[in-house]
Amino acid sequence: MLLRLARIEWATVISTIALVAFGVLMLSTTAEPNAAGLQNQAVQKAVLAVIGLALAFAMAHIDYRALLGVAGPIYLLGIAALILVLLVGDFDLGARRWFEVGPIVVQPSEFMKLAAIIALARYLADRPDSTRSLRTVVLSLGIMVIPAGLIFLEPDLGTALIFGAIWMAMVFVAGARWWHLLLPVLVGLAAFPFAWFFAQDYMRQRFVTFLDPSSDPLGAGYNVLQARISIGSGGWFGHGLGQGSQSQLEFLRVRDTDFIFAMLGEQLGLAGTLGLLGFFTLLIVQSLVIGLRARDMFGRLLAVGIAGMLFTQAFVNIGMNVGLMPVTGITLPLVSLGKNSLLVTLVAIGVLLSIHSHRAAAPFRQQSMHLVRGSLTSAGPPRGLSQ
Amino acid sequence: MEAHPRPAARTGAGQPRVRGTRRALLLGGAALAANTALAARLWQLQVVESDTYREQAALNRARTRTIQPLRGLIYDRNREPLVANAPVFSVWLTPAELPSEREGPVMANLAVLTGERVEDLRFKLSQARLAPDTPARLARAVPRESALTIEERRQDLPGVSVHTSTRREYGHGEILGHILGFTGPIPAEEVEAYRRQGVRFDEDIGLAGVERSLQARLRGRDGEQRLETDAFGRALHELSFTPPQVGQHAVLTIAVNEQQAIREILARHLALRERGAGAVIVLRPESGDIVAMVSLPDYDSNIFTRGASSESFALLVSDPRRPLINHTISGLYPPGSTYKVIAASGALEAGVVLPQSKIHCDGRLVLPSGWAFDDWLPQGHGFVDLQRAIAESCNIYFYNVSGGNPYTKLQGLGNRRLAEFERSFGFGQRTGIDLPGEASGLVPTSEWKNKNLQQPWVTGDTYHAAIGQGLVQVTPLQIASMYAAIGNGGRVMRPRLIDRMLDQHGNVAERIQPQVRSVLPITAVNLRLLQTGLYRAVNEPQGTGPRARSAHTIVAGKTGTAEYSGARDAEGRLPSHAWFAGYAPAEQPEYAFAVLVRDGGEGSFAAAPIARDIVDYLMTGDMPPLPQHRPDFISPDRRL
Repeated sequence: MLLRLARIEWATVISTIALVAFGVLMLSTTAEPNAAGLQNQAVQKAVLAVIGLALAFAMAHIDYRALLGVAGPIYLLGIAALILVLLVGDFDLGARRWFEVGPIVVQPSEFMKLAAIIALARYLADRPDSTRSLRTVVLSLGIMVIPAGLIFLEPDLGTALIFGAIWMAMVFVAGARWWHLLLPVLVGLAAFPFAWFFAQDYMRQRFVTFLDPSSDPLGAGYNVLQARISIGSGGWFGHGLGQGSQSQLEFLRVRDTDFIFAMLGEQLGLAGTLGLLGFFTLLIVQSLVIGLRARDMFGRLLAVGIAGMLFTQAFVNIGMNVGLMPVTGITLPLVSLGKNSLLVTLVAIGVLLSIHSHRAAAPFRQQSMHLVRGSLTSAGPPRGLSQ
Repeated sequence: MEAHPRPAARTGAGQPRVRGTRRALLLGGAALAANTALAARLWQLQVVESDTYREQAALNRARTRTIQPLRGLIYDRNREPLVANAPVFSVWLTPAELPSEREGPVMANLAVLTGERVEDLRFKLSQARLAPDTPARLARAVPRESALTIEERRQDLPGVSVHTSTRREYGHGEILGHILGFTGPIPAEEVEAYRRQGVRFDEDIGLAGVERSLQARLRGRDGEQRLETDAFGRALHELSFTPPQVGQHAVLTIAVNEQQAIREILARHLALRERGAGAVIVLRPESGDIVAMVSLPDYDSNIFTRGASSESFALLVSDPRRPLINHTISGLYPPGSTYKVIAASGALEAGVVLPQSKIHCDGRLVLPSGWAFDDWLPQGHGFVDLQRAIAESCNIYFYNVSGGNPYTKLQGLGNRRLAEFERSFGFGQRTGIDLPGEASGLVPTSEWKNKNLQQPWVTGDTYHAAIGQGLVQVTPLQIASMYAAIGNGGRVMRPRLIDRMLDQHGNVAERIQPQVRSVLPITAVNLRLLQTGLYRAVNEPQGTGPRARSAHTIVAGKTGTAEYSGARDAEGRLPSHAWFAGYAPAEQPEYAFAVLVRDGGEGSFAAAPIARDIVDYLMTGDMPPLPQHRPDFISPDRRL
């Protein structure tokens, strides 16, 4: 048991737990005062996080290469779920993004992110010599465009764009030509006039609001402005947990999800925001480090994809909170309320842990303890199973 | 950049190379740079600009609500309330909560629900947007059903709310319209001026009468409540509270019962005529206190605050008698013979005549220029002295003492000195009563005529001025004030309508003291002569005012028949206003009065009986018999 624990990448685990703890802490300050036990969102999140962490630890002990075999089926399952949600999903706030299975709300787009990363990692790892070819790049883009397109139709522009960012990170590390990376950007620019024409009003509004949030303080720009006021008024150390007029008096809307960072900024100040940003940075850097140490291209690309997913979401969400990015409805991974996202992210962390614990050897080998931090290539003696 | 990783320099023994190390490192660097940018931005927001955002957060949560004070009440002399603040539903809007793109439909809906015009609502909204967080009143006094509908449809009407506020209700509005006036919304062109005085555009202000003249004191002072509110505008708790200061209450010098009775007396007499119109003013000579002030036809104050049907409103506006105007203070008329006392006093004081000097009246005075000036009595009054001239209202006597007589070489008072005397009685200037819209009248002089009519002053003008004809213009209040001064021994008092102001606890905040405007430049002896003349006018057989004689006291006074330019009647006579002005009792008078029947014909027939009825009422407290039941009654349609 001790050995097993020792194989865990603790920096990743600790930063993950810290980020979840931030989320639980924030949710506890906004919970309905008479919501006890499992009625309380913070408690729900904590319980779910424990389950998710257990899954992650379990995942850590499964060799991530097992995913090679299920990559296809998982991907297809995800696509099927996305189609299903478009057909029978619950219509809520002008979009079909989830459906209910009994008491559980399933949001397929969250699971699709991980499924697509696995599928893309396998696709690229299987073609080590053709990543510089346009054909491979275009086909790899197809792997992402199909789910992204379905998600765009929900409509959920933000999540769809995340797929593009993940693709770029993975294809880049896989060795694609630089200009190939710009392919989706060029396609996007060319498509922009048409997209603008077909875009939902809320999307256009968001774009305009991003350019000038004060143009319509009560409309779409309201949230951005209130988020900035919340964060700014937090100062060095914030107003304290459960304090702060912006979040407590609900000037700050969607404070449990999109703008949970702003609530943190108000309550815990710069200390809190930098702390959270630090843990995110640590988690992302660790993910990349795990990728660098991975024994094979599949593991590396998986880790890079997961790192890309975490970074993009965190950056877009925090950027939106501080007014550097447009409002996209991207939540803060691990921190925001959002059970699907939390579970999937924790499973993704589990994949990272698996890549780490299987970086060099078959399980239960002493070598894996001979890590030298900071050395990128000291992954221990060679084992079989090389590519 | 090369796409394939170089062979690793520090390869472990046989460990296969995994490509993309450099690129992964690059990605890590990019992520670090991006997060550093976020950290820098957080520093900017939370440290550098933190104070600004703190202020904004504080502004977010604190709402200041102005609490309008209750408007002060108005009481009659006996402390009977003449107005109440009745609760009504009013519709308010907080502009900040109304997105601009929804303005159109919301205003259209409100117009239907409140009955206000869309343009008016839009104007108010534009004003309200100057302080978008403060609710502004869009409609006052909406019906209960509309209020409920608006409450039910709050979802469709963002920012709109219904509150109870108050509306003025006048308990005796129908008899006090001209005195109390009414309140209403500020006219658009005056909004700015009122704003400078701290009056919000959506308030009701006094628009006429005492409501207007005492606006500043009745209004009181705003209170202020600062509330902590959440994002949905729900008040959480109070941060501070400054109570509003209720406006002061006014106590009038008028008593409802007297005003009502005197109005009724005038109304009964006017009812005998077709489209009768007239005015009565009764004063206390000693103090200048207004006892009654009636201008008929009049209006009910309540129609302005309660809302009148458009037909009844159109009637008020289109009536040629102009019922909306208080003719006791704003109507200008030639005073006729009631004015003769001025020329008499001037002639006495200036030594033009001695009291016993007799002037011959043969009914007509023809100037060398050929202009003829008639007496009202074609055969003339014969030789008359001053008192007989007043009593019998001999025009020729007053022509002589004012403009002189070229045949007897009598040097008259002259225009300049006559004008001085007119002014000393208070003519040509406002009396200073606490009511808006008072006219000052006109004391004609040669300068005035030169300047305004580009015509030279002629002797005939002086003649006319002496008998209150021609260019002279007075208000009934000025005439009453003049007779009060004669009755009280020579003091021209400022008419007093407000007796005192009370604070919100009912304590006297200010007592309005009687004020002497001027003292007549007439010796006691001469004043006595005038008084006797006025006594004789009523009480001697040849006097012009026997119909003013009261069974209950002795009346002194003067009739007036003031011709004005208009359509002549069958006998070629000009139409005339009937006047009677005087005081009673003749010794130590308690009341002075002026009665005007517009287009009433002879003062002695049309106005004097009204004065008698009023004096009878004031002396006994009982309503006098109907005018047509008096033995000396002569129907107005039978002219002499």
